[in-house]
Amino acid sequence: MAEEVKKTRPAPDPNSAAYKLNQIVARHYKEVAEAKARGEKIGWCASNFPQEIFQTLGVKVCYPENQAAAIAARGGGERMCSESEMEGYSNDICAYARISLAYMKDKEIPEQNMPQPDFVLCCNNICNCMIKWYENIAKELNIPMILIDIPFNPDYEVSQEQIDYVSGQFRAAIKQLEEITGKKWDEERFKEVCAISNRTSRAWLEATSYTKYDPSPLNGFDLLNHMAVAVCARGTVEAAEAFETLLKEYKQAVKDGTSTYRGEQKYRIMFEGIACWPHLRVTSRGLRDRGMNMVATIYADAFGLLYDDFEGMIRCYCSVPNAVNLEKARDNRVDIAKRTNAEGLLVHTNRSCKLWSGFMYEMSKQIGEKCNIPVVSFDGDQADPRNFSEAQYNTRLDGLMETMDAQKGGN
Amino acid sequence: MANKTELLEAFHKVATNPAAQLKKYTDAGLKVVGCVPVYTPEEIIHSMGAVPMGVWGADTELKESKQYFPAFICSIMQSVLELGMRGTYNGISALVIPSLCDSLKCLGQNWKYAVPGIPFIPMTYPQNRNNEVGFQFVKAGYNRVIADLEKATGLHFDDAELAKSNEVYNHHNALMRKVSKLLADHPEITAEQRSDIFKSATFMRKEEHSELVEQLIAALEAEPAATGKKIRIVTSGILADSPSLLAILDENNMQVVADDVAAESRQYRTDIPQADTALDALCRKFCAMGNCSVLYDADKTRADLIVQMAKEQKADGVLVVLTKFCDPEEFDYVPIKHACEAAGIPQLLIEVDRQMNNYEQAKTALLTFKEMLS
Repeated sequence: MAEEVKKTRPAPDPNSAAYKLNQIVARHYKEVAEAKARGEKIGWCASNFPQEIFQTLGVKVCYPENQAAAIAARGGGERMCSESEMEGYSNDICAYARISLAYMKDKEIPEQNMPQPDFVLCCNNICNCMIKWYENIAKELNIPMILIDIPFNPDYEVSQEQIDYVSGQFRAAIKQLEEITGKKWDEERFKEVCAISNRTSRAWLEATSYTKYDPSPLNGFDLLNHMAVAVCARGTVEAAEAFETLLKEYKQAVKDGTSTYRGEQKYRIMFEGIACWPHLRVTSRGLRDRGMNMVATIYADAFGLLYDDFEGMIRCYCSVPNAVNLEKARDNRVDIAKRTNAEGLLVHTNRSCKLWSGFMYEMSKQIGEKCNIPVVSFDGDQADPRNFSEAQYNTRLDGLMETMDAQKGGN
Repeated sequence: MANKTELLEAFHKVATNPAAQLKKYTDAGLKVVGCVPVYTPEEIIHSMGAVPMGVWGADTELKESKQYFPAFICSIMQSVLELGMRGTYNGISALVIPSLCDSLKCLGQNWKYAVPGIPFIPMTYPQNRNNEVGFQFVKAGYNRVIADLEKATGLHFDDAELAKSNEVYNHHNALMRKVSKLLADHPEITAEQRSDIFKSATFMRKEEHSELVEQLIAALEAEPAATGKKIRIVTSGILADSPSLLAILDENNMQVVADDVAAESRQYRTDIPQADTALDALCRKFCAMGNCSVLYDADKTRADLIVQMAKEQKADGVLVVLTKFCDPEEFDYVPIKHACEAAGIPQLLIEVDRQMNNYEQAKTALLTFKEMLS
């Protein structure tokens, strides 16, 4: 969920999906900065806040989670986490939040800038930590906060009561944002945005599903980079077109037997959790050195929301990966692992994310049993480089490889 | 009527031996339902004839729970699961777990597999609570809890009974607020004794606890104001009941004159208002609650409340007792620190967890704090 962090290859093809996707992210930051310069009110927004609201209103926002991932990938994570700790924040707090709270004070940094917010848009369907983080921004900067509370669902299905609760908040959020920005809601435009969002999601989900082929036409880690677009531009035609281009490229690659994965794909693995952005190169190399390709991750699906109507949209936001109970979360993953023929599960026990890691031991055990695949985990962090050990990571990968080999031999 | 010493001993006995309370109630044929922090609809459980008992974990070593939780989840959740797996809660009919923080969400999911013998009852609260859709969602959550409780206990819900329980709880709230205020003028009551008064409330039926508190209030009011002055502090945090920590406060002549502790006064700030039905009234109570790290508040009025409490009680300082890995509290600490600094109130943060054996660092910090306040 950050923009492209690998070195840009020489002379990128302007018609390629990678080029288009990179341009969308670059343009996204530029457009928010330009809107701010024009005197428009701009916001900071949680990654899974219903983007249909501000896209319909024509309000520009940027994403602290994307920014924090980019900062961490570019080496600024430790410096900014430490700044927040100096301010009094515990080093146990989510590293994205620590980076963001530091940025709120720094305003200008070498890794990735974005304009200061006039309001914040929060949604806790990924974690309640978001609420606390955005409360502190709102309080410190004395700006309004809009919260769409999407509670963690302890049941397998989304209840009508939850849909009613979230729908009511959705409508209230529109009014609040209209008041803050002076822009007006247009029902026709909303329908358009929904249609575009579905088109983007469909292309994104179809493209990501191409990891089911053997060999996979893509290095699974590519998705972690492209995901930034699914987050920040889902409601735009440009994003839909870029993902459609990506899909075309994957189709062609399957036909040609080519892949963006360099080397032989010996093992197909499912990766669980957010990327270790500060150690992306090391974690990616560890897989590549062993011929492992990530063909499955729940994270890819997190930002592909398909719906037919308003209630369906609300249901989608209530069903994102971190808002559902263990059984639902497990079954979603088992489905992906089976569809892609994953042979092993690598779990990132992410110190930043209590919700994602807090019932992962039990869930990953159950996934392993249901899919009959080995499961190993490693300790890391999405943005604080201090919580990762390369030696442990490599040892765990060796362990995973040995068990996958044994299973292949046994079968 | 018992005298002050006897009453304090009675509170201490209950606070330090919840297992005896559980046995007492189950031996009497009563159903007991565990209530995990921070807020559960105890009134509903009480109205159905069961005994709601607080489940806040314990100061204990973690072994079994490590199969389920990574090390960076707060020790309250970890030790609740540990005790569940060890069988300490055997005898209770169900466990209500609200999902007010990310670690609580995980506790509920792990509980189902780690302690399959004790049913898990989820309570899902709204964060956008002070509006009509929030109210309806609290009500849906309470109705679900009622249905699950009926299944787990075989008992039945009746709104008229809830109306009576609401009164019992409002009466208890008022007494707890009153005793807390009164204790601020009684430096002879130690920090440990004050903690016992609050902690025992979670292990007793509220009408029984109210009786003891009423007697204590009468005993305190009958006494002349105590002489001698201690350092007056306001405590804030999720839990502040560690005997080692309380002993350090007492050894250093520190008196808790008010608290913003989740396991203590935060439970008693909001009363149940009047409404069409008793259940609606209980829902309205939750909608009106605030000033807590697990309840959405972009204005961070909690920080202002702590300052206000410190001023009202003429406190010398604020002691933030931070439960390690509790991120809602960790986020709130910075605004609390800023608010105290702006008001010129000294504050100290000490980090605790339920596996802490060594309090030397806390002791040193508190000694320095004491010197600063003296």
